[in-house]
Amino acid sequence: MINDIMLFDEVNRCMYCGFCESVCPTISLGPHRGYGPRGRVNLIKEILKNNTITEEVLSSIYSCLLCNACNLVCPAKIDIGRAVREVRAIINNYNKQSIKKKIIIRER
Amino acid sequence: MNEGNIKNFINELESSINSNKILMDDIILKLYSREPSGIEGKAKTVVFPENNDDVSKILSLAYKYEVPIYAQGSSSSLSGNAAPLKEGVIVSFERMNKIKELNITDSIAIVEPGIRIDELNINLEKSGYMFPIDPASQSVATIGGAINNGAGGLKGAKYGTMKDWVNGLQIVLADENGTTLFVGCKTVKCRKGYDLTRLIIGSEGTLALVTEAVLRLTPIPESIVTSLALFNDLSDLLNAFIEIKSSGIQPYIAEFMDSKTVEMASKGIELNFTPEGNMLLISIDTTKESTDKIKKFLENKLSKHNANKIITSLNQEEAEEMGLFKIRRNLFAAQVSMGQVIYGANKKLQVFIEDIVVPPSKIIEAVNKVRDLGIKYGLQVSIGGHIGDGNIHPSVVYDPTDESTKDKVIKWYNEVMRIALELNGSISAEHGIGILKKEGLVMEMNYYNSSKELSIMRSIKSIFDPKGILNPGKVL
Repeated sequence: MINDIMLFDEVNRCMYCGFCESVCPTISLGPHRGYGPRGRVNLIKEILKNNTITEEVLSSIYSCLLCNACNLVCPAKIDIGRAVREVRAIINNYNKQSIKKKIIIRER
Repeated sequence: MNEGNIKNFINELESSINSNKILMDDIILKLYSREPSGIEGKAKTVVFPENNDDVSKILSLAYKYEVPIYAQGSSSSLSGNAAPLKEGVIVSFERMNKIKELNITDSIAIVEPGIRIDELNINLEKSGYMFPIDPASQSVATIGGAINNGAGGLKGAKYGTMKDWVNGLQIVLADENGTTLFVGCKTVKCRKGYDLTRLIIGSEGTLALVTEAVLRLTPIPESIVTSLALFNDLSDLLNAFIEIKSSGIQPYIAEFMDSKTVEMASKGIELNFTPEGNMLLISIDTTKESTDKIKKFLENKLSKHNANKIITSLNQEEAEEMGLFKIRRNLFAAQVSMGQVIYGANKKLQVFIEDIVVPPSKIIEAVNKVRDLGIKYGLQVSIGGHIGDGNIHPSVVYDPTDESTKDKVIKWYNEVMRIALELNGSISAEHGIGILKKEGLVMEMNYYNSSKELSIMRSIKSIFDPKGILNPGKVL
């Protein structure tokens, strides 16, 4: 497992070109960009930066199939599949109660 | 525009369209506020229309409450074209992505704006047809985005840009009723008064929203002969291209990359040859019977100008097997890698890609001047582009937190545009004006003593969009 700073550095390299979306099997099935690799990478950045998460963000992160197709086309060579696995571990290790509270607060 | 306007807009919109078409999650909204240009804005909400009626309702309410509207395809544009500069509403066309009609006899496809260019071509290939506009981002770029940015691409040498491949458009106006119009025709020949279709193409979402497009199609060529040639001297490469271009043959594709960029783009990809030197990639479409003749023609011209390596394929399958397009396809990655070599692998980098065009006869002067300019500013400039139509994309990659380099890059960017003008060219070929080239547009109008064009354009804008709510702050 890599630490939060290393993970942030990894996802922070995203240039936002969107090339990864062309090979992602989930983006066309989701309701918005968060269901594609570009979205997930930038949501991971937001999770790490603001320590905040919403139901919609969770759905984006957990809808990834971890197929790693995006890794093959990323010009910045971000290991997107690994980043998603890492952030899932981070979410799992968070104080679940506080995350739940945040979700509830945000959804009101 | 006050906060209350957006709230009222959303409240009324929620009562007229399904709530699952409206997104207000603050974190997800950030995904619609950014572009590869590095420009970030602030979206207040995203609406996902699913048909023309939805768009009409959105624009009618936006007009009523004076809410800024930013149409988006896939946010892959490079001049800050669709970033929400003012707090406003994103209209994302990702759910309007259908092919509504395909008619091979009429050589047209009627499509919704959210379809990606590659997806369209995968569907057309079964019929032996293609839509020939192919920006390097075609796997992600949408037809709607390509229309609004006036996109071009690798095949621009032969097929031009979007303005040449759209017969008609269904558009929605930002007025009281969200009025729907069909401008242009379904046919290629069309004399329906003033040509509003070509006014909308390249207007970057500032005049109206496109909800349907009638696209022209063309058969996929029977055979395409491609030569990849490497030259020690960039001048030899440019002279070889000029001679081929002046021989009565219109290249299907003509791309080039300087040696440093070739070196970077070749890293991490498997090739059957050693990619050393400046690269010219040139394709000519022909019949199966003529491929040998074209091969000889190309190889003779390339050898005459001292190419140190020439690899030629006789058709598309062979070109793929031989990996002739691999280096070109890796261009964006090469530009990023160049930055990682300079700044380190973990640094957040910004790639700034210029987009000038000069008459092909001036390409040698343009490349030499751009190269000298990079040296003047001490910047590592990657030079490449669509040499076939005179469109070059010099680019630099830099650390956006390094203010002194950023300052140099902006000066460099402006001077590159000046070079284009001095060679009778233009400041933007296919990326559009957006935010980054607004000053450049004024520079160009003044350079050609044509500044009244700007006031005419402003008048046109105010007729289409009297409240100035469509993509405010862009183009003009």
